[in-house]
Amino acid sequence: MVPGFTYVRAKSVADGVRQLAAPGAKLHAGGTDLLGCLRDGVFKADRLISVSGLKELRGIAPVPAGGLRIGALTTHAQVVADKTINERYRALAQASAAVASPQLRNQGTIGGNLCQRPRCWYFRGDFHCLRKGGDHCYAEGGENQYHAVFGGHKCYIVHPSDTAPALIALGARVRIAGPGASRVVPLASFFVGPAKMITKETILEKREILTEILLPAAEPDLRSSYRKVRARGSFDFALAGIALALLIKDGKVARARVVFSGVAPVPWRSEPVEQAITGKALTPDVVAAAAEAGVKGAEPLEKNGYKVPLLEGIITESLLALA
Amino acid sequence: MPDDRYYVTDVPPETPEPADQPAPWTTTTVVGKRLPRVDGYERVSGAAVYTADVVLPDMLYAAVLRCPHAHAMVRKIDTSKAEKMPGVAAILTDKSPGADVPWFNARTGPLSRLFDPHCRYEGEEVAGVAAETPYQAWDAVRAIAVEYEVLPFVADAEDALKPGAVAIHQGGNRSGDVTRYARGDVDAGFAAADVVVEQIYSTACEIHAPTETHASVARWDGNRLVVWDSTQGVYPIQSGLVQLLKLPSSSVRVIGHYMGGGFGSKLSVSKHTVIAALLAKMTARPVKLHLTREESFLAVGNRPPDTMTLKAGVKKDGTLTALQMTVLGTGGAYPGGGVGSVDWVVRDLYTCPNVKTELTDVFINAGQARAFRAPGHPQGAWALEQMMDQLAERIGMDPVEFRLKNVPMVSQATSGTPPYSSTGLKACLEEGAKRFGWSEARKRARTEGPIRRGVGVAAGLWRGGGGGPPATIIVKLFADGSANLNMGASDLGTGTKTVMAMVVSEELGVPLEKIQIEWADTATTQYATASGGSKTVPTESPAARAAALDVKQQLLTMAAAQLKVTPEELVLKNGEIVSTADSSKKVAIAGVNALRGRGLIVGVGYRGPNPEGKVICPFGAHFAEVEVNTRTGEVKVTRFLAAQDSGRAMNELTYENQTQGGITMGLGLALTEGRILDRSQTGKMVNRNWHDYKIPTAMDVPVEQIVIPIDLHDYQANSTAAKGLGEPATVPAAPAVANAIYNACGVRTPDTPVNPLRLMGLLAASKKRG
Repeated sequence: MVPGFTYVRAKSVADGVRQLAAPGAKLHAGGTDLLGCLRDGVFKADRLISVSGLKELRGIAPVPAGGLRIGALTTHAQVVADKTINERYRALAQASAAVASPQLRNQGTIGGNLCQRPRCWYFRGDFHCLRKGGDHCYAEGGENQYHAVFGGHKCYIVHPSDTAPALIALGARVRIAGPGASRVVPLASFFVGPAKMITKETILEKREILTEILLPAAEPDLRSSYRKVRARGSFDFALAGIALALLIKDGKVARARVVFSGVAPVPWRSEPVEQAITGKALTPDVVAAAAEAGVKGAEPLEKNGYKVPLLEGIITESLLALA
Repeated sequence: MPDDRYYVTDVPPETPEPADQPAPWTTTTVVGKRLPRVDGYERVSGAAVYTADVVLPDMLYAAVLRCPHAHAMVRKIDTSKAEKMPGVAAILTDKSPGADVPWFNARTGPLSRLFDPHCRYEGEEVAGVAAETPYQAWDAVRAIAVEYEVLPFVADAEDALKPGAVAIHQGGNRSGDVTRYARGDVDAGFAAADVVVEQIYSTACEIHAPTETHASVARWDGNRLVVWDSTQGVYPIQSGLVQLLKLPSSSVRVIGHYMGGGFGSKLSVSKHTVIAALLAKMTARPVKLHLTREESFLAVGNRPPDTMTLKAGVKKDGTLTALQMTVLGTGGAYPGGGVGSVDWVVRDLYTCPNVKTELTDVFINAGQARAFRAPGHPQGAWALEQMMDQLAERIGMDPVEFRLKNVPMVSQATSGTPPYSSTGLKACLEEGAKRFGWSEARKRARTEGPIRRGVGVAAGLWRGGGGGPPATIIVKLFADGSANLNMGASDLGTGTKTVMAMVVSEELGVPLEKIQIEWADTATTQYATASGGSKTVPTESPAARAAALDVKQQLLTMAAAQLKVTPEELVLKNGEIVSTADSSKKVAIAGVNALRGRGLIVGVGYRGPNPEGKVICPFGAHFAEVEVNTRTGEVKVTRFLAAQDSGRAMNELTYENQTQGGITMGLGLALTEGRILDRSQTGKMVNRNWHDYKIPTAMDVPVEQIVIPIDLHDYQANSTAAKGLGEPATVPAAPAVANAIYNACGVRTPDTPVNPLRLMGLLAASKKRG
């Protein structure tokens, strides 16, 4: 049973920002993650400030200067159905389609997907873990089959989002509203790993709201994809995933952005893979070298060693598919 | 604590045997048809009232405080804050009057009580609260302060037997004696073999996870208790409550009605039902207690995990010479049948003169296991059926041919090796292979490139599934020709009501929509054992037929007097009683004067005994086609076929539903499901929710699922010629998938679940990844 709370509808983004100042206040959008967390006692909220009624935060529209604006409240189902996204930003369409289940894609928002809390079962369960203010990480020496092989530091969560790696590969930025003027940051610097901060996953401050996602104009030669491997066909998070955004000119990779999901506490940009393919044609040899480079430095825990060959497998498969 | 076996043998019928067994049906007009559920509209529209839907005037809602530790001693409970909270009506703890109810029986007596301060698993009950709303009840549960002394725990069967392991019970961690079975001489058998293979297999612990979680509503009328319960059997719940609360049977009424699945987890009384009854007594108000999904993962049963070492010998010509199996399993913190029937397929599925098994059941700090869809059989089949393929490969024989070579006609593991009343094992394998296109599919296997394709077969049986007495059913025929079917059996959602109504319709010609069904209520319906063990159809349908025949006999006698003919020359056809000698002599049911005068005819049917010297057993063979991505360890089941011998197929549509459910559950065992305990730190279950405990979704089952009923009418078994289906339909599914995975990528998968986590590791270790 969800413990009681007060529910308030914000009249505007500015009103939402103001209301978030109340003690124990949390932001509510699609609610698919928030309500689960409250029910499971992952954290508490005395007051929910809902922005779900704000139409200005919904929808997908071209930006005059080129590119696309996606309101934070746009649902995954809407993203998946959008023609422009399917044609020009394929990685995002594939990522949104890979999220959860149809019911959750109808309700869950893309902004919420970027701000969701980790799925580590110790964090979600009744374990007083480091990320919840406890004194140790249960995953480090426990049941860590779903945990990080890159970027772990005292805490070994993996970032749960599918859309985040796709959006980072596509060069997205996000707008954040707060008490002062809104700010726009590259999505790649929105996420924070445990080495810097252990109790939250993003740079959002208490009174800040992610309001929109901005995609740059898609170059005609851009090819992108998102591939996710999970333990079950639907309603499941990534064991490992890979987002690719490659600019391919004259048969060669002119620019590459490669981001992994499911293997690190933040969406994990893989510069080694990018370097291994930039300036080259995606021949089997180049791809094999890239896959090897991609897993270099991986530090598996006791039970997640499979993620290393798995990651190699999807790097290979995904690069060959875009060749 | 009541006896919670749910299939029993050697029980004499409690009722007189019918004078004659009715003649076999030559042709049927209703039975065997593809007919939708008689209660489909109610179930789909939401009109059906499940226990969770029951709302009574003045009703309170209860919630249970459960131990959050794998092993702990309750030192102090402080309820003072909770008692003062708004809406709280009563708090029940170990100290409350009437709460001293013994629980978890062993040979030595009860091992525990309702709120035993010694909590031996995470989720064990510590206190109960009743309040005006469920939210208030949960707020109060959270406000109860408990001081626990956290104890060292054991979360694994192997750890439980290690020297120095913490003792969960005074007598240690062994649950009962080691079970041993032997026939012939296995050493001689292995010596005579051309090939001997030994392998260790294991199956993970599965949670039943019925759609409807466990729920009870209790109300006292003076000293009489009425309980609405989501149960597989109202009579076992009644007898359990009678024993635990020391009441006469006439003072306990249990109503089952609609329920949303059980799979064996709802066969006997659970603590939540007694807690609801005691809280209702304390408050003199009705109390509803509906478990949350999380509670149902911890405290109301599971399929025990088993580790199985199997050694097998075979001659080059495919003759099995010896099978030897040792099993280590655990039914949790209390006797839960951790190894029960795990070796039965090894003993009985194939002809083998030399068999030896040894099964060890131990306690660990985890929730008690309960019967789970064909207890033990899917585990045993996971081992045996992979071993059969391993042997076939070594002797260079086709896996279907190898199995066919070893089909037995007798039950070798039953004393006196009696013959089966019918066996369709050969037909399941042959017909299944033909319809699946087995030989062609084997040739089509893709062994190059990253995506490999392969096919697999497995067979199985279920040692229950014959049903038997007792069962009593009443059929009433009204003067207008409509009827009432009155039976005590529960319909778990499998179609029991539909099949029984079809039997009545077959005999009396009354259309299904004119048959009203009363079921699963100890006050108004007749005695039935729990719906479990795949015995409901073979147990209840002969009784339903007998009741309908009793009605028919009385009706024909009445009509004979009116038509001035002998009853023997009359038949009931299309709502009319007609003379076979002179078809002008006829009368409609509604025109039978004696019936009009009396108002109705009451027919009583009893389940007669099973045949002596015969073993009634359903069989099945499953065929799977899979694609394995050797770069990722992903398995996609692309095609599945199940050929089942369950005697007569009573309704092809419910038959298909049952079998597809069995396949899906088998795919869950093979590919996705498994309880995970935090073995090295806290012993707590880390995946007690729908996301982390992975039931297969629509995306995990093949679109193409073909069900082939091997429609062998088994009139030796009973008068409707049907055997059970629900459990045999899941037994071979998982190993069929494992064998297909091996065929596709050359990697043997001895442990469940074979998810990408496990298979990627195996592919990498064997250097078979793409």
